[in-house]
Amino acid sequence: MTDATPVRPAPVQLAPRRRLPSLPVSLIVGLVLLAPLLVAAVAGSWIAPYPYDEMNIMSRLQPPGAEFWFGTDEFGRDVFSRTLVGTGSSLVMGVAATALSLLAGVPLGLIAGYKGGRIGEAIMRAMDVLMSFPPILLGILVLAVTQPAQWKAIVAIGIVYVPQVVRLTRAITLELMQEEFITAARLRGENAAYILFHEILPNIWPPLAVEASLRVVFAILLGASLSFIGMGAQPPSSDWGLMISEARPFVEQAPWIALCPGFALATAVIGINLLGDGLRALLDPRNTGAH
Amino acid sequence: MLAYTLTRLVYLALVLAVMSVLIFLVTQAMPGDVASMIAGQFASKEVVDAIAVKLGLDQPLIVQYGQWAAGILRGDLGRSLVLEQPIAPILMEALARSLVLAVVALAVVAVVGIGLGVLAAVRRGKLTDQLVSGVSYLGIAVPDFFWAIVLVLIFGSYMKLLPTGGYAPLSDGFLPWASHLVLPVVTLVLMLLARIARLTRSSMIDVLQTNYVKFARAKGMPESVVILRHALKNALLPTITVLAIDFGLILGGVVVIETIFSYPGMGRLLLFAIQRHDLPLIQATILVVSAAYCLANLTADLLYAYVNPKIRHGMKAA
Amino acid sequence: MMTAPQARPAVPPVTAAASAPEPAPLLDVRGLTISYGNARGTLRAASDVGFAIRPGEVMGLVGESGSGKSTIAMAILDLLGGGGRVESGEILFDGTDLRRLSAPERRALRGDRIAAVFQDPFTSLNPALTVGRQIAEPLIQHKGFSPRQAAARVQDLLSEVGIRDPRRVAAAYPHELSGGMQQRALIATALGCEPKLLILDEPTTALDVTVEARIIDLLAKLCDSHRLSALFVSHNLGIVNRICQTVTVLYGGLVVETGPTGRVLSRPAHPYSKGLVAALPRITAGRRHRLPSIPGTVAKLSGPPAACVFAPRCPFAEEACRSRPQAMLTDAAGDGVRCWKADALAGIPWPDEDAGIARDPKKAQPRSAPLVEVDHLRKIYGANRSILPWLRRAGTVAVEDVSFTVGRGEVVGVVGESGSGKSTIGRALLALTEPSAGTVLFDGADLTRRVRQGDQDLRRRAQLVFQNSAASLNPRKTVGDAMDRPLVLAGRADAEERRKTVAGLLTRVGLPSAYADRYPHELSGGERQRVNIARALATDPDFVVCDEAVSALDVSVQANILNLLAELRDEMGLSYLFITHDIAVVSHIADRVLVVYGGTICEEGPTGRVLRPPYHPYTEALLSAVPRLAEDGQETPRILLEDAAPTPGGQGCAFAARCPRKLGAVCDEQAPPVHRTDDGHRIACHIPLATLAERAAVFPELAGDAPH
Repeated sequence: MTDATPVRPAPVQLAPRRRLPSLPVSLIVGLVLLAPLLVAAVAGSWIAPYPYDEMNIMSRLQPPGAEFWFGTDEFGRDVFSRTLVGTGSSLVMGVAATALSLLAGVPLGLIAGYKGGRIGEAIMRAMDVLMSFPPILLGILVLAVTQPAQWKAIVAIGIVYVPQVVRLTRAITLELMQEEFITAARLRGENAAYILFHEILPNIWPPLAVEASLRVVFAILLGASLSFIGMGAQPPSSDWGLMISEARPFVEQAPWIALCPGFALATAVIGINLLGDGLRALLDPRNTGAH
Repeated sequence: MLAYTLTRLVYLALVLAVMSVLIFLVTQAMPGDVASMIAGQFASKEVVDAIAVKLGLDQPLIVQYGQWAAGILRGDLGRSLVLEQPIAPILMEALARSLVLAVVALAVVAVVGIGLGVLAAVRRGKLTDQLVSGVSYLGIAVPDFFWAIVLVLIFGSYMKLLPTGGYAPLSDGFLPWASHLVLPVVTLVLMLLARIARLTRSSMIDVLQTNYVKFARAKGMPESVVILRHALKNALLPTITVLAIDFGLILGGVVVIETIFSYPGMGRLLLFAIQRHDLPLIQATILVVSAAYCLANLTADLLYAYVNPKIRHGMKAA
Repeated sequence: MMTAPQARPAVPPVTAAASAPEPAPLLDVRGLTISYGNARGTLRAASDVGFAIRPGEVMGLVGESGSGKSTIAMAILDLLGGGGRVESGEILFDGTDLRRLSAPERRALRGDRIAAVFQDPFTSLNPALTVGRQIAEPLIQHKGFSPRQAAARVQDLLSEVGIRDPRRVAAAYPHELSGGMQQRALIATALGCEPKLLILDEPTTALDVTVEARIIDLLAKLCDSHRLSALFVSHNLGIVNRICQTVTVLYGGLVVETGPTGRVLSRPAHPYSKGLVAALPRITAGRRHRLPSIPGTVAKLSGPPAACVFAPRCPFAEEACRSRPQAMLTDAAGDGVRCWKADALAGIPWPDEDAGIARDPKKAQPRSAPLVEVDHLRKIYGANRSILPWLRRAGTVAVEDVSFTVGRGEVVGVVGESGSGKSTIGRALLALTEPSAGTVLFDGADLTRRVRQGDQDLRRRAQLVFQNSAASLNPRKTVGDAMDRPLVLAGRADAEERRKTVAGLLTRVGLPSAYADRYPHELSGGERQRVNIARALATDPDFVVCDEAVSALDVSVQANILNLLAELRDEMGLSYLFITHDIAVVSHIADRVLVVYGGTICEEGPTGRVLRPPYHPYTEALLSAVPRLAEDGQETPRILLEDAAPTPGGQGCAFAARCPRKLGAVCDEQAPPVHRTDDGHRIACHIPLATLAERAAVFPELAGDAPH
């Protein structure tokens, strides 16, 4: 083609350049809600006005006031400090369990989608069995016969959400495998690893990120539930679910013991939900500035 | 349709078989000595050994499973260690009570959730839509047990309108029975409403943009017909599947809810079994609840196939 | 089955000199301006659009994608949606301005006096309701029929639109019907309330050409017998020529020309109309020439135009065109044209492309071994060997025993409609799908086996250009990255040198080299297709499969891409397998043509031979369905095929169920014999060759175009 006469280039009008998409409102609100929680998770024990496990018989079940902003519990522990310190425990539970399910689920989903055949079939059938258990029961099953501990709850929640991650990853992979740019990659002789990591994976991250944010919410709630029934974090830890559980007998005299961690949970859940919605809007390819 | 149902039934049997193996393995063959955990930290060796023999733990695992599985196939779920009674009758009674709770909650979620979702989709971007979104956010923002506590506080303790816990059999009259159901059902509904409403909203919005809805409008159909006859029927397909998943969430969620409201169903039975280390009861409860969940999923899939003419008639033709 | 000549309704007398008062138009659109607005800005979809449709008249509204034609149709129906808004103007229907009516009043007109048929019949029918119920709905709504009365009327309507078993079709769900049947059901729905005006929005674009021919025939007859007026929205000039008495040409949301169809298509006045007519691929004697094309991309307006919208692409444009907007000039007969030079340009055709690339056909007949050899290729999809007996499936035959070769430097066209197996053949040739039986040899080697063994070098010599130019580029990679990879894989280590090669390739396909930094969504459809071609060339292939490579493009862009492909073939000695549903397109570029139906080859031969008798009955039907313009000469009888689906994998001829010349049981029961001639022409048909040769040529003007 070196000595070929060049074709007359067609006059082309330049298409408008890509504009930076504006940040969705929900993303910003979500971040604003989450920022204090993140600070509390990292530095909770330093900024807390009292040590989270300091008991004080003299000031049992104190209502909120100047001394104890959100009151005290039945052992006279400061509810605000406990909630603050408990942030780490609750968020870690959600994030770690989600990370675990992604770590196991994404590779399995990629293999099931890309390879298909017997291996893919086997993976999907195994996931079907896992999904045939009601979610919390699968966690309980794992925890029922051993001594409860928070790390076990994390593993249990992680396992609960593996099938969902596998299914989603596989579904997107299968969809992408039909895409013509994957065919083009096969045609130019790319190997499976390149196609998986350079062509498929970059297109999987956006929906996975949205999914992960939802998973974190569910994992936090599930973790709180497990702690609530005594199968997650153990006393005297100040996990939110555990705090609400411990507050139950006193809820009529001292509702603030339950309300403070409940409010914190709500903030986290709403914040992450908004973050997820914002991510979805941000990563939607239709939202790229070009029409 | 028949071929599809048959396939799904064969499949269900397989899943249940694998499930029973899993439940058995996880509970009975966990690392650590099951017998000594059941007996407690301070039990003597004789007590531990006695429990081991009673549970058949001295026999090979495969034999243990064989005996257990054979019993289940005969309808014998074993004997509870703590209650010292056959498990099956206790379990069935508890299951029936939990199912009442679950089915009522599911029905309310379906009706209210779909209604709100359709409303939000039709009024997309308007105040109604934002109100529905806001309220549904509130529902999922706090865990169900927190709602339960709040509801108990408001309707039970302060207003003294409703019983805060317990159960009255239907033989005591409808009102006492129903009044005990209200708070647990409302709690379950609050937990699930958001998802159904949001899912219905988004699938409804998708369907409202299809060509066939446009064509129905081009035929001059009134908006109510367009929405209810043309759009909703198609928009509900994904909702059916999610309702089945929600049924599983309810079955799991009852563990917590029943504990808070002292409702004598499966959930409380399971928690009781776990706290007392009653291994046969744990196994049987989890198996039965999971089987109920699988049946719900099967029902949803068959319903989906039935409602969706593409599957229903595709199967007939094949 | 029948070969009735096209009944073209007589054009109503519209002479201005007529003493009788002109009938009031049924639909009179005046000064219609429509915008789409969102946070990022406004797009003017229609600017000051005006046209009139008289009672009993079918008007074509013609333009390329983005011209605003569908938007106008939706505005008439009050179904704009998507942020669309009528800014100003009047839509007079029977003397009433629809825009002044309330929403319920307009709804009452819709489906009753103004009915519509949309482009894609499958998505226009509700999957959850039976076809009969959907047809009955407007009858119950507007005419107050009881469900029982409506059901009876549905049967009549279905019979009227040519459905043989109305009872079965009425009870069926949409997915159980073929595309042609679905479109008939939509037409029946539209006719139900005996409307005065039909809005037909690209009603045949989603259909196969042979089905399209029947639907157009049906629509023309119905409009004639019911004295219906219709607005026929289409991008296809050939179809418009068949059914419309008048035509309005849109460009960038503006009416650029309006007049009687015959005049506009034979003597277009506006430069854009000239270009559209010239760029239409047609089967004509001088088929070795380049297709005339319109450079550039479609204009998009955000406000009132400041200059002639077409000036940037117009070869006749001068300074005056670029400085002021053009007014509509109307002559005594009511014909309008939006070009001040129209009179000066009368009779001046769209300029021909620089010729001299007419190629020597002998070059394509090399004596050496063929590059690709396909031997008894067979592909079955969906076979299931489950342990559950009720799940076992034999699978669907996509390709049934196909053999052919592609020579070095040769272009082989594969023509067929959906379900013919043409794409499967292409994929098997590229080792993208494993044949169920038979072999594919590429340069003497079994490509499928080589690829399975991990030999990618051979594979790189065979590339693919896709139909959907958007989906074939990874949205997260720049054009440069997409083209760089094949070079890396070929072992080109020097990044600077690779960048130069990419720039060279882009220039080669007529794009600025700066496009290397662009993302796919920043390009127009035609530009993306050029990138696709450039990427395919990056591996330095010998063989390129073009799978419907120009089908998704507008006519003007399509001509551009076809010319580019032809040049690359000549300069680089490429071989193509050119897969398409459009026999007119293939006749422009192919040396040899395979006509496939139901997974089998029914006819194969040098392009010139396939276009002339003897024809396989299916080829004859395909050729007769090719759109023709008024200037191409008299209408030849069109062959209308049944709606039946092909029956591949059976005992007999796959085409038997739809064949208008079916002999009898022998066609259903025995595979057809293959008639061969010495120049490589073969026809698989039970009808003797001599009988096939007796048919009249579909394109008599080709008679002199000798094959050698």
